[in-house]
Amino acid sequence: MRANRPQGVRKGTVAFRGSLPRSLITAFVAVWAGLFIPAIGTGESSGPSERPNILFILSDNFRWDCMGFMNHPFIKTPGLDRLAEEGIVFENAFNTTSLCSPSRASILTGTYARTHGVLNNHTPWTGQKPTFLEYLSKAGYDTAFIGKWHMPGKGLPDMPYLDLFVSYTYREGQGSYFNCPLIVNGRPEPSEKAYITEEMTRRAIEFIEQRSFGPEGAKRPFCIYLSHRTAHPPFHAPQGIAGMYAQEKVSLPKRVDSWFSRTNGNVFQGIMMGSYEDQYRKYCEVITAMDRDIRVLVDRVDELGFRDNTIIVYAGDNGMMWGEHRRHGIKYPNEESIRLALIVRCPWLVRDPGRRRSQMVLNVDFASTFLDLAGVTVPKEMEGQSFLRILEDPEAPGRKAWLLEYWKYFPENFPSYVGVRTDTHKYIEYEKTLEPELFDLTADPGELRNLHGTPAGQEILPDLKGMLEALKNGERM
Amino acid sequence: MAGQANAAVKGLGFRERLVTPVLVVFVVMTLSWIAYNLAWRLENATLHRVVASVSGTLLFLSVVLGPLAVYCMAYFRGATLKERIGASLINPFLWATKECLRLCISFSLLESVYYYFNPLNVWLALGIAAEMALAEMICRQRRRSQGADIRVLQPIAVAALLISLSLVISLYLWGEGENVYAIFLEGYRVFFGPGTGVGVKL
Repeated sequence: MRANRPQGVRKGTVAFRGSLPRSLITAFVAVWAGLFIPAIGTGESSGPSERPNILFILSDNFRWDCMGFMNHPFIKTPGLDRLAEEGIVFENAFNTTSLCSPSRASILTGTYARTHGVLNNHTPWTGQKPTFLEYLSKAGYDTAFIGKWHMPGKGLPDMPYLDLFVSYTYREGQGSYFNCPLIVNGRPEPSEKAYITEEMTRRAIEFIEQRSFGPEGAKRPFCIYLSHRTAHPPFHAPQGIAGMYAQEKVSLPKRVDSWFSRTNGNVFQGIMMGSYEDQYRKYCEVITAMDRDIRVLVDRVDELGFRDNTIIVYAGDNGMMWGEHRRHGIKYPNEESIRLALIVRCPWLVRDPGRRRSQMVLNVDFASTFLDLAGVTVPKEMEGQSFLRILEDPEAPGRKAWLLEYWKYFPENFPSYVGVRTDTHKYIEYEKTLEPELFDLTADPGELRNLHGTPAGQEILPDLKGMLEALKNGERM
Repeated sequence: MAGQANAAVKGLGFRERLVTPVLVVFVVMTLSWIAYNLAWRLENATLHRVVASVSGTLLFLSVVLGPLAVYCMAYFRGATLKERIGASLINPFLWATKECLRLCISFSLLESVYYYFNPLNVWLALGIAAEMALAEMICRQRRRSQGADIRVLQPIAVAALLISLSLVISLYLWGEGENVYAIFLEGYRVFFGPGTGVGVKL
């Protein structure tokens, strides 16, 4: 519980790191103020006087380094650059299962795939695990799910607790970039805007605007889960953006060539037409298109006066490999595949905007974090950890290790695997065919030297295997 | 039909009529596949790109347009219609089989067999039908220009060309293949469920 806790308590806790006498006095005052005058803060910074709003923006197959501020050679993402400047960038954010549907289910339920049961993109969502949106709704939040659902099952699930549910089942739930037929609160509706991120953004803005008007006392905090189709193939950017990177030079990883998009089953990633370089340019274009709409949305949030009481979280559901290790796609245990983009703007918690955090956070952490922020007790069933503390404090401890798991997904030709990733190492065991892999991520961040079976690997293997078994048994580290 | 048309080469045996045309394309396909898959090991980046581009192009052409070449070669070597059709299908079938076997890395044999029905193979099959119809017309035109009294546009060949070509195009235009792919996945789930594997101990 965090937001229900009087603000003064939290700020006071942080103040202990300053000079001791002053901190003690501040803390003392804060505790008493917190106990008897719940809405009063210490005066150190102005946090929201009510429970904060939550705007969660999720993208698809978004590679963590495809943003302007990450020194990408040509992509333009002024919207995300701005969020990074005003918020915190998590450099070590990961998904626990590198595939769309399992990752999305993990985000919504705060649990690992082995717990929520959506093991791959063919396994139905059962709805047995409550989502963080449900908890927030019960806690008095207005909740909206807008965008890509993409979990198997018969149509869209029944989620009566949502105040707005805009999604689509078109093409296996992948939707389309243009004129995607929508389902709004259970009823088919056409898109008003032709381009999908524009339409979803419009819906999100409309939802926020409805909450900004009306009598002050009647207002409830809101939580929006805005889930974009971008950047899922085939890549189609809108007019004005399509073709903007056509002349950019793309440097493919060594050992990859222009035909790579048509070999090794990669055509089933929707990248058959055009060279591999062309596909990458188009991938960047759809990201720029989404970024344009993120900028519009953030501007509107600020214009409506929600800036100081709205947390904005931008994340990807997976990473994306573009030829590294001669692999394309999202299903691999490599860093390019499992690493997530994660930016958080939270003006009242972040004291050092524009900085980065190196602690490891996971997709299963989002649910706990949002509940924590809203002052809702995080249920024991949730397997993630709130990262609000890390947001506040760059020195806050992070997790030691976590479980990475993947269940094979037809027709993606890669076997099931399970592994452990620590701050320094990664160990992966495959169901069949492939030999185990062990990488020292500090000495070999590109994962080029498999230490499994080497003396150096033998030294660390027992520890990693022990951690793996413990994590599989539900231990958290 | 073909036997009469190719009376001049009627004396050719099975090997010359069929095996040779199939082998010519098979050798190109196999060598280019080997070259492509070895090219990335070349340390010289420029050489890698050149070898990969040439072998990639040849591989693509041999798989996709190989049937056209096989059909024409078999035609002029006196193969019957059935033989020409059979010969044209051999190399694409071998390629599709290789792709299915590739899936055994992760999936069961049955699941790999289902992979035969993937949209790419559907397109390939339709494309081959169009190519065979086109090849028949090309060969007949060639023979006609050599003085043979022969009809170039046979109704069945024209129909096969039009139907298969329009199916190739329309299936692609229908959601750039995504819709066909969705049907393929739906079929997979009917037979294999989520396919996560039984008894997987992760």
